[in-house]
Amino acid sequence: MNWKKAVSVLLISAMTLSMAACGNSGTNTGATSGGGNDSAVDSTEGGSAAASGEKLVVWTLSNDLIDFGERFQEQTGVQVETVVIEPANYPTKVQTALLGGETEPDIIVGEPKMLEDFYDAGFFEDLNQAPYNAQDYADQIVDYVWEVGQDSEGIQRAISYQITPAGIYYRRDIAKEVFGTDDPDEIGQLFKDYPTILQTAQTLKDAGYRIFSSDAEMNVFSGDSAWVVDGVLNVDQARYDYMDLCVDLYQGDLTAYASQWSTPWYQAMAGEVPILTADIQSSVDDSVNVWDATEFAEATEGMEKTTVFAFGLPAWGVLTMRDNVGETSGLWGVCAGPAYGFDGGTYIGISSQSERKDVAWEFVKFCTLNEDTADWWIEFSQGDTVSLKSALEKHKDDENQIYGGQKLYEFWLEQAEGIDTSKVTRYDQAIGDAWGNAISAVKTGEKTKEEAVNEFYDVIESTYPDITVNRE
Amino acid sequence: MAKAAVTKKKRMKNYNNAGYFFVLPFVIVFLIFSIYPVFRTLYLSFTNFKGFGTPEPVGLQNYARVLTDKFFWRALWNTVRIWGVNIVLQLGLAFLLTIVFSDIKYKMRGLGIFRAIYFLPNLIAATSVSFLFKTLLDWRYGTFNQVLNAIYQFFGISKEPIDWLGSGNYAGYVIAVISAWMWFGNSFIMLMAGVQGISKDYFEAAAIDGAGRWTVFGKITLPLLRPILLYVAITSLIGGLQMFDLPFLMADKASAAYNSVQTVVMYLYKFGFETGTTQVGYASAIAYVLFLIILAVSLIQMKLFNRKGD
Repeated sequence: MNWKKAVSVLLISAMTLSMAACGNSGTNTGATSGGGNDSAVDSTEGGSAAASGEKLVVWTLSNDLIDFGERFQEQTGVQVETVVIEPANYPTKVQTALLGGETEPDIIVGEPKMLEDFYDAGFFEDLNQAPYNAQDYADQIVDYVWEVGQDSEGIQRAISYQITPAGIYYRRDIAKEVFGTDDPDEIGQLFKDYPTILQTAQTLKDAGYRIFSSDAEMNVFSGDSAWVVDGVLNVDQARYDYMDLCVDLYQGDLTAYASQWSTPWYQAMAGEVPILTADIQSSVDDSVNVWDATEFAEATEGMEKTTVFAFGLPAWGVLTMRDNVGETSGLWGVCAGPAYGFDGGTYIGISSQSERKDVAWEFVKFCTLNEDTADWWIEFSQGDTVSLKSALEKHKDDENQIYGGQKLYEFWLEQAEGIDTSKVTRYDQAIGDAWGNAISAVKTGEKTKEEAVNEFYDVIESTYPDITVNRE
Repeated sequence: MAKAAVTKKKRMKNYNNAGYFFVLPFVIVFLIFSIYPVFRTLYLSFTNFKGFGTPEPVGLQNYARVLTDKFFWRALWNTVRIWGVNIVLQLGLAFLLTIVFSDIKYKMRGLGIFRAIYFLPNLIAATSVSFLFKTLLDWRYGTFNQVLNAIYQFFGISKEPIDWLGSGNYAGYVIAVISAWMWFGNSFIMLMAGVQGISKDYFEAAAIDGAGRWTVFGKITLPLLRPILLYVAITSLIGGLQMFDLPFLMADKASAAYNSVQTVVMYLYKFGFETGTTQVGYASAIAYVLFLIILAVSLIQMKLFNRKGD
C-alpha cells in the first residue's frame, strides 16, 4: 500500500514538474527575446528612427530576403528574423497563421500566381493609405511590377525588388559558327515564332547541335492571353501552337531530352552532353541500356555528343547560369523570345495583422525603393535584375562578363515594358500543370491530341466548377 | 463516532469526484482536437469556404459535386485497388506465419525475436520508407533494377528496365507491396495474440482425437480467431481507404503514373491544401463522403463476419 502511494506521489510530482518546466521554458523564451531586443537597442543608439529596439519577422519563399534582412539589421539595428518556407507550403502556412489571428509574421511575400488569393483574403496591408502613401512611389518602379502588386481595385498591396522578364540565353560561339552572327537582335529573329524556331532547331541539328536541352524551354513565353477570362476557360491558339512545338521538338529528336531542372539539363549549360533520342528517353528502345551507368557511358561514347544552343529563362536565370556555366562563361548572349513573358518574382508586403507596421514599411521600402540597396543587391547577387528604375538606369551600361560583356539591364528593361500583367490569374499553376500533362501525353504517344485535350478539359471542370469550359 | 463516519463518507465522495478532475485534461484535448474538427468539417462541407474569407452556405452542392466527379471515383478505385492487393499480401503473409508459429508440432523457438523483426518495418516512418524504396526502385540507378539486370545478364538476356514508380501499370502494385511489407508484422502480432488467447485444451483434445494440421486450423483456430480477424480487417480497411503517405511521397506529380496512384485522401489534399486549388468546402465534403463509405463498408464487413459466426 505504502509502495503504491510512494509511486503515485512520485508520478504526480513528475507531472507537476514537467508542467512547471513548460511554464519556465515559456518565460525563458520571453526573457531571451527581451535580451535580444536589449542588444538591438544597444547597437542602434543614435541610429535610425525606425530602430526602437524592435524586431521584424519575415516569412519568405527564397533565400534572397535573408541577405536583405541581414543588411537591414546592420543598418537600422532592427532585429530581423527571416523564415524561408518552401513555395508549395507557403500559402497554407500564411493562411493558418493569419486566420489564427497571429500578429507575426510582419512581412509576408508572394509570387504573382499566389497574390490574387492573398489580396482577396485581406492578408496584405493597404499601402495606398497613410502613412505609407505608396502611390507616391509609383513612377520609381518598373510598371508591370507595380501593377502585379495591386489588387483588383488597384490598391497597392505588395512591391517586388526584382523584375523577371523572360529571354533566350544562347551560345554566341555556336551562333557565329552556324548562323554567321552572334548579334542578339539577329539571333532573336531565329526565335521570332514557332515555325521559325523549328527551322532553327533543324539547322542546328544538321550542324551537330541541339537547340534546347528540354522541349519546355518556350513555356515561359507561351500563351497570348490569360487561362481564364471572365470565368471562362480560355485555351488560345498560342497554347495549341506551343503544344505542337513541344511535340515536334520531342518527336523530331531536336532537343537533348533532358527534363527542365534535372541534372543533365543543368549540365548542358556547361558544355557537351550525349545526344539521346526520343526512343531512349521513353524507355521503349532497348538498343541502349540507359540505366546501367557504365554501359550507358560506353553506349553513348560511341554516339555523338552535342552542345545545347539555348535556354529559355526569366531574368533570374542569370543567377542559375552564373552557378552552372563553368567553362562556357563569356560565351553566352541573351536575346528576345517569340513573345513577351515573365515568371516568378518575390512580392513583398506587410501583414494586415502586424503590430509593427511602421518598421515593416521601412523594410519594404528598404528592399524595393532604396537605391543603395539596389546597388548593393546587383553587386551582391552578381547580376539579379532590380525593379527600381533609377538603379536600372544607373546600371544600364554595366557589362556582364558571362555574356561576353552584353549590357543586360538595358535588355531586361525593354523586355519588361512589353509584359502584359492581365495574363496572370490565380489558376495559372493548376491549369498550367494540367496542360503540361496533356502535352506530355501527346508527345510520348500515350494519348492522341484530342484525347489529351479532352482529359485536360475534364480536369479543369472537376477542379474548378466555377469556370465554364467550352469544349471545341 | 457518528461525526467521524460522516467526515469519512464526505471524504470518500470528494475522492470520487476527483476522478473527473483527472480525466479533464484528456476530455478538453479530445473536445478541441477531435470533436470540434469533426463538426467544423461537417459545417464547412455545406459551404463554399475557400480557405479564407467568410464561408457561405451552398446546401448539398459540394456533395452533389463529389458524387459526379469522375476523378473522385477514379481516386476511390485507385485506393481500393492498392488496398486490395495490399490486404491479400498482408493478411496472407501474417496468416502463414501464424500457422507456422502456432503449430504445437513445430514448436518454433524465438517467437519474440521474430515478432520484433517482422514488426520492425512498421516502426520506420513512412517518409523514410518512401525514400528508401524510391532509391531502391529508381528506374536507371536503383539497386532493384541493377540486381534484375545482373540476373538477366547471367542468363544472357537483354531486357529494358521497368520504371516501377513511373509507369501507371506498376506504380499502384509496387506501393501495395511496400505497404504490405510495412504492415504484415502488425497483423501477425494481432493474429498471434488471438491464437495465444485460445485455450490449449482445444488443440490438445484435437491432437488426441487425431485431427490433422488443416483440420485443427480450419475447425479450431480459424473460427476462434474470427473476432481478431474482423478487427484486423476493419482497421486495415479504414487505414487503407485513408491511404495517403506512401503514394503521396512516392509518386511524381509530373509522371504518367500519378493518375493511377492518386488516392481519395490525396484528392482531398489537393482541394484542402494545395496552392491554387484550395476549396476547403469541397475537401470537407470529400472527407465526409469518404467517411460514409468507410462506415458502410465496415458495417457490411461486420454483418458478414457475424453471420458466419451464427
